[in-house]
Amino acid sequence: MKALAVLAGLFMTVLACADVEYPKRIVSLGLCTDQLLLQMVGRERIASLSYKAIDANMSYMADWVGDIPLNRASVEEIIPYQPDLVVSSAFGARDTVRLLKQLGFSVKTIPLPQSIDEIYELLRLAGQWFGTPAKAKQMIDEMQRAIVEIQKRNAGKPEKTAVVYSPNGYTIGLDTLENDVMRLAGFRNLSAEMGIQRFQKISLERLVAASPDTLLIDNHVYNRDSLAHEYLDHPVLQKMVPKQQQLFIPSRLRACGGTMTVDAINYLAGYR
Amino acid sequence: MVNLSLSRRLNLLLAIITLLCFLLALYIGPVKISLVKAISDKLANISSVESLIFYDVRLPRALLALLIGGTLGLAGAALQGLLRNPLAEPGIVGVSNFAALGAVIAFYFGFAGLAWYALPLGGLLGAMLAVLLIFLLVNKQNNTITLILAGIAINAIGSALIALALNFAPNPYAMQEIVFWLMGAVSNRSLNDVYIALPFIVAGSLIILSCGRFLSALSLGEETAQTLGFNVVKMRWLLIAGVAAAVGAAVSVSGNIGFVGLVVPHLLRPLVGYQPKQLLVPSFFGGAVLLLVADMAVQLLSDGGEMKLGVITALVGGPFFLLLILKMRNTWL
Repeated sequence: MKALAVLAGLFMTVLACADVEYPKRIVSLGLCTDQLLLQMVGRERIASLSYKAIDANMSYMADWVGDIPLNRASVEEIIPYQPDLVVSSAFGARDTVRLLKQLGFSVKTIPLPQSIDEIYELLRLAGQWFGTPAKAKQMIDEMQRAIVEIQKRNAGKPEKTAVVYSPNGYTIGLDTLENDVMRLAGFRNLSAEMGIQRFQKISLERLVAASPDTLLIDNHVYNRDSLAHEYLDHPVLQKMVPKQQQLFIPSRLRACGGTMTVDAINYLAGYR
Repeated sequence: MVNLSLSRRLNLLLAIITLLCFLLALYIGPVKISLVKAISDKLANISSVESLIFYDVRLPRALLALLIGGTLGLAGAALQGLLRNPLAEPGIVGVSNFAALGAVIAFYFGFAGLAWYALPLGGLLGAMLAVLLIFLLVNKQNNTITLILAGIAINAIGSALIALALNFAPNPYAMQEIVFWLMGAVSNRSLNDVYIALPFIVAGSLIILSCGRFLSALSLGEETAQTLGFNVVKMRWLLIAGVAAAVGAAVSVSGNIGFVGLVVPHLLRPLVGYQPKQLLVPSFFGGAVLLLVADMAVQLLSDGGEMKLGVITALVGGPFFLLLILKMRNTWL
């Protein structure tokens, strides 16, 4: 009797699963959703990724793209795929997203995580949308374990101060993912300590006055001919922080919030 | 009869004011530092926060404000003498915009990295083209309306070409930087920028100064100048080259800062008895003072100088320009 009940229960569950609608033709319009898809969903369910996915400098999953068709987030390209789900980042391809919604497609936008916890939230959300909650949980667990590992490895090492300096003189302060990354890697973010919120310009004089041990600079660009990049080449930066302490965080670890963020923490922690 | 000793005293006074403004500019900045400690550290070769800020950040900024202000003032006086019109100045007649165009092409398309002089040379070629254009347009019909219209046309073409060039530039930040090229700034510059601009500025300024007597003679008319013994054609070319070199280099490192060459010579002209030759040196110092003061205003109004210098000079120079036109409406136009 009990066995029959269990069998019946299993049968119902199987039926229920068969009825669950998970998207089978997913299109991604931006880099961050590209990477989520490649990590969480089987290739046969990905209809198209954005062209940024194969840029090895920016895309963490560039090697996994293979022959998946690429799109430039234009509505005309997307419609032929007849996607049952379109995903995009909060600030990318807004016009495309709006038009696709008007045309009746199912479009979901992911938020930009500004902390490690928000990354976990994002992964859970993506798991729900793609129908892969187990995979999402696995990714979160791995991230948490890796972060604990890094903390253990670095326990006892002296703290270092750092400032992020970006083109046009922008720095990164409180309430940002980078701030969390620096903290977990064991660096004191001097911009945050100066009270800078999120992304703001910092004058060169204030940067010099802060005297960080380390300067975190994003240096992947092939073409540095711009006034924005001249900020990063100012002679005073070389004098204030020697070359060994100017760290170039690989852009593909910084471009999006996700499992690659742990790699970014690991990368930084290696320089403590 | 021009009073030479008065002129010399004026130059000395202006030089002193320039020096004082320069020292004041070194003192003002987002971070409070002790100048004494900064200078003594630098002399003792100690790398401290003060010496770094003073030598690598503030000194280039103040030096550039001085040099570029002086250049623009001097070029303004020179152009006013050459075109015999008190409304001529590098910004209004489009010379600065074309200099910026030359610099933009040199900078964003990789030429600037080839040699130290490539960037200011780009500015020079652009400026030269504009001066030639304005001269051709104005020479036969030398009145103010023609000058202003020609200036508007050349300015418009210049800005459009700058936008076009930036659009095709390989670097993604290029398009946003149009504001710098059209409005100018001297913050976040380094001593390298001073070094690459200085030779051209010095050469151009010396050439302009050597044409002083010709400018005074020219104010009596071309034929009179010719009969006074000047080779008018050659001297004009020399002036054009001097203005192009000086303005070209200045704009290539700081962008287009307008109205300095208009305001300064106009204010100083009465003090030198309306003599074009005597106006040149005071215009240099006057321009330097104006830009140093404008830069100090920028530092005080926006932390670290994020406001563009051209904004301040336009706020002062724009209404000034308008007043000049209104005043002249009944006489020259």
